[in-house]
Amino acid sequence: MKFIRSVTDVFGYSPFKALRLHAEVCGRAVGLLQKQFHAYRKGKFDEVEKLRDEIDELEHEADKIKEEIRGNITNSLMLLVDRHDLLNFLTVQDEIINYCEHVGHMLTFRNVKTAPEDIWDEFNILLAKIMEAVNEYEKLMDHIATLVASSFSKKEIAEALLHVPEIENLEHECDMIQIGLHNKLFNADDMHPLDAQLMITWVVHLGEIANNTARAADRFRIMVLSR
Amino acid sequence: MLTLIVILAIIAGLYMAWNIGANDAANSMATSYGSGALTLKQIIFVAALLEFCGAVFAGQRVTNTIAKGIVPIQLLDPHLVAIGALAALLSAGFWITLSTYYHLPISTSHSIVGAMLGFGLAAVSQGYLKLTDIQWGVMAKIVASWVISPLFGAFIAFLIFMAIRVAILDRYTISKVEHVFRYLQVLTACYVAFAHGSNDVANATGPIAASLGFLGQKTPIWVLAIGGLGIAVGIATWGYRVIETVGKRITELTYTRGFSAEFATATTVLSASMLGMPISTTHTLVGSVIGVGLAGGLASVDLSVVRKIIISWLVTVPVAAGLSIALYTLMVIFI
Repeated sequence: MKFIRSVTDVFGYSPFKALRLHAEVCGRAVGLLQKQFHAYRKGKFDEVEKLRDEIDELEHEADKIKEEIRGNITNSLMLLVDRHDLLNFLTVQDEIINYCEHVGHMLTFRNVKTAPEDIWDEFNILLAKIMEAVNEYEKLMDHIATLVASSFSKKEIAEALLHVPEIENLEHECDMIQIGLHNKLFNADDMHPLDAQLMITWVVHLGEIANNTARAADRFRIMVLSR
Repeated sequence: MLTLIVILAIIAGLYMAWNIGANDAANSMATSYGSGALTLKQIIFVAALLEFCGAVFAGQRVTNTIAKGIVPIQLLDPHLVAIGALAALLSAGFWITLSTYYHLPISTSHSIVGAMLGFGLAAVSQGYLKLTDIQWGVMAKIVASWVISPLFGAFIAFLIFMAIRVAILDRYTISKVEHVFRYLQVLTACYVAFAHGSNDVANATGPIAASLGFLGQKTPIWVLAIGGLGIAVGIATWGYRVIETVGKRITELTYTRGFSAEFATATTVLSASMLGMPISTTHTLVGSVIGVGLAGGLASVDLSVVRKIIISWLVTVPVAAGLSIALYTLMVIFI
């Protein structure tokens, strides 16, 4: 609109909505990954590839959100939280979806035929636990809007941060399941070595999804508390 | 001839007042629209009515400052004063229109003060006044008030929002708090409109009053009413569009934040009106918003706006003064 002089320049770019959206995209990717594993076990490889592409798209979407945030947080902005804390937090949160993408691709490398059923069952349990951790993480991120609206009041901070130990517990449970899986895989003498090798890599990378979810929660806590 | 110049000055003053209503008043009121405390129709009504009241009931002192506080018009021939006032209004009006077109955050108050100073300096150059006749003391006070007012606004806004945080936000649920402040923000919106009218009307009525000659201490009420009317018309004919555009971009300012920023702005501006200082409401509002931000009230404040405002200060006074000198000189030669 022409012929306007306005005060709006004083309102800077706010990254909080975008951060929440980025977390949501990460959560959707983990959900797709779980579906992808189910499809793999049933031998529906067309669907496995389709889901890989969908995860790729989500990863691309997350990257765009990340770039938007990074590109808009300039030196002249006075934010509610420390810039570096915020950018560090975003980097870790972004790793969640990066590892989803890695695993999504690894599922299309090879058709594992020699894995025993109990190992597949254990993978289901691991994925369900990771999903649980990510859901809890999204609950934490749901607090962002209220935190901003209340100017990070002590009450709201305390309520939000209740989710962090929950997420850390779930991540610990994921660790336990991973150790069990590694044990089984390294002792699965009847498996084709390449099948075992591939599945071990899956376990490691799935573990990174849980790790980074817990780390992101921790970074979030640092960001909120050190303001 | 004098009557014609006075009539032209009144017309130019009305254009000035229209501009003030269309942009400055609209900006001050947009916070209430952005937060949703009032609808657009309600805002236009409140703004038009209270700007008018502020102008008529509290616009006297700043009008005096601009009319005769800077240039001692009682020492000059009434013809020259009328021409000078017209030149000042035309050059400030031109500069404001140009800046508005290019979205520059300049102040109408700074423009008219610069333009009146230009008229004074032109009179000095023609030998009608001595350089020492210009009220440099008043001028220094005015410039100081331009620096102090945004800082003061920021300070008050900071205190208010801090108090809200500690006393209210830490204890109660945010949605309940905002609900209460919705009604309080209606009051501060009125307060802002009144304060703005009382200060900025002078940008139009100051030169009009000067063009009427030296009238002693009192400016006739009808002059203030003309200014108030011009502002009200500006809000109704163009300001609503500015309110809509600006309001949509400042939804960040919730009721509690809007209340703090508006209260701080209105208090600062009304104090300045009482002291007879022509300050910029918009710059004070920017200061107040930054104050709310410093108190942790906003997700993000862009401080680069401060640099833009400082530049606009440095540019506006010389440009308005220069234009005014040129116009005045031309008119004196040809009339």
